[in-house]
Order: sequence, then structure tokens, then C-alpha cells
Amino acid sequence: MNVRLETVGQTTLVIPEGRLDFGSAALFEKQLEQAFVRKPTGPAAVIIDCAGLEYVSSAGLRAFLLAARTAQRAGCQFALCGLQPSVRDVFELSGFSRIITIYADRAAALAHAPTAQP
Amino acid sequence: MIERRATVPGDAAQLSALTEFLRDFWSSADLAPAQFTSFELALEEVFTNIVMHGSQPGRVPQVEVSLVLAGDGLTMTVEDDGPQFDPLSLPPPDITAGLEDRPVGGLGVFLIRQIMDAVSYQRIGTRNQLRITKHVTR
Repeated sequence: MNVRLETVGQTTLVIPEGRLDFGSAALFEKQLEQAFVRKPTGPAAVIIDCAGLEYVSSAGLRAFLLAARTAQRAGCQFALCGLQPSVRDVFELSGFSRIITIYADRAAALAHAPTAQP
Repeated sequence: MIERRATVPGDAAQLSALTEFLRDFWSSADLAPAQFTSFELALEEVFTNIVMHGSQPGRVPQVEVSLVLAGDGLTMTVEDDGPQFDPLSLPPPDITAGLEDRPVGGLGVFLIRQIMDAVSYQRIGTRNQLRITKHVTR
């Protein structure tokens, strides 16, 4: 799996590509931690664009859960977008779609992110 | 009836080999791609449970996966020679809990039960056997 980080205004975009399974989840967790690091304050929002994510298992769900908690404690908005149907199924079956905000695509997610300058 | 069998050590690095085994079975049995992910997910969840619970100091369990397609039912049987462990005995996670209270574990077995038609566990001699069945289409 590859993960790219991009900054759009006050938002950090995380763009994973490939398979998020037991083998890649630990690395993904580390890279998600990086998404919350931004000077002088943390990002106003972290958005994970999952359009390139082909597969997620429970090990991957764990990484999303930990990131959502980090965001909540930091007072940072957190959302996912662009889930492929099979990935979306896993989020719905596990009930994660009820605790994590999911937008249809990146444009919708960015439209809901805070844009105000400090 | 189509039947295939693979045996690997219960080491996390073997997951990709097992996924390939499943993929090969899928194409040789000419099954619809839409249901591949369900079995891929179930195989990962079962195998990683064995990796985490089945190892003892100095001993890695052997894991045998068999796939049997009979009619339109696909049965995946996963056996290991690790200590007795029934994953189906785990309490289901509370999937209505809020973000902070949501348990980080126990989801794998829950997902398998959701996506498969039948799941059963048996201890046979010195082996754990988990059997998973689902209706598939060609």
C-alpha cells in the first residue's frame, strides 16, 4: 500500500492506495499519525480519500478508529470520502459508518471542511 | 466438485500467499468476482486470529486451508494445530458504541458472521477447525 499526504488550506488530505490488510495496517497507522502533525497548530481537518483503497479488513478498520479518536481529542474534523463499494460494505457491516463521517467524494468532503483562517 | 488445499506456517507473512491461493481457486472455478472479497476478508480474519492466538514459544502452528465448491455452495475450511481456540466463543463487539467506547478488537469474527451463510467451529483431536460456507454464483 502507498500513502500520500497533501495539504489543502487548513486540511490534511491522506490518500491511501492499494490494500489495507493485516500486513499494511501498522504502517498506515504510523502515517495517519503524521497527518495530525502540523505547525504551529494541528490541521483543522483530516480527510482520508479512499478512492484508491481496494480492500479493508478489521486490521484496517482499527487504524481508522484510532485516527478518529486522535482527531476527536485534538478537536480536529475527521472524515473519509470516495469509498469503493466493497470497502463501504465493510464500514456499514461493522457500524463504523455511524461513528465516522463519510462523504461521496473529495469535493464534498473539502466543501464541509473548515476554511477560516486563524 | 472442485477442491483445492494449501498448507502454510501460521506466520503473518504468509497472508499474501493464501490470498493468491484463493485468487487462483476463484479463476479456476470461474466464480463471479463480486463475491471474492467476502472470502478474501474471511480468510484474512481467520488466518490472523490463528497467527495471534495460535503461536506458542518456539512453535508456529501449521495452517491448512481447503476450498470445496459443490453445486453452488463454497466451503472454506481452515485448520490449525495450535492450542484450542474457538473464535466463535468471543462476545460480539458492541457496534452501536460511540467513538471512544468502541472496542478495537473482535470485529473480524463479527464480519465473518455477517457476510457468510454459515460458520462453525470444531476441535478435532489436536486441531482447531473453522468451517465457513456461502452460496456463490458463477
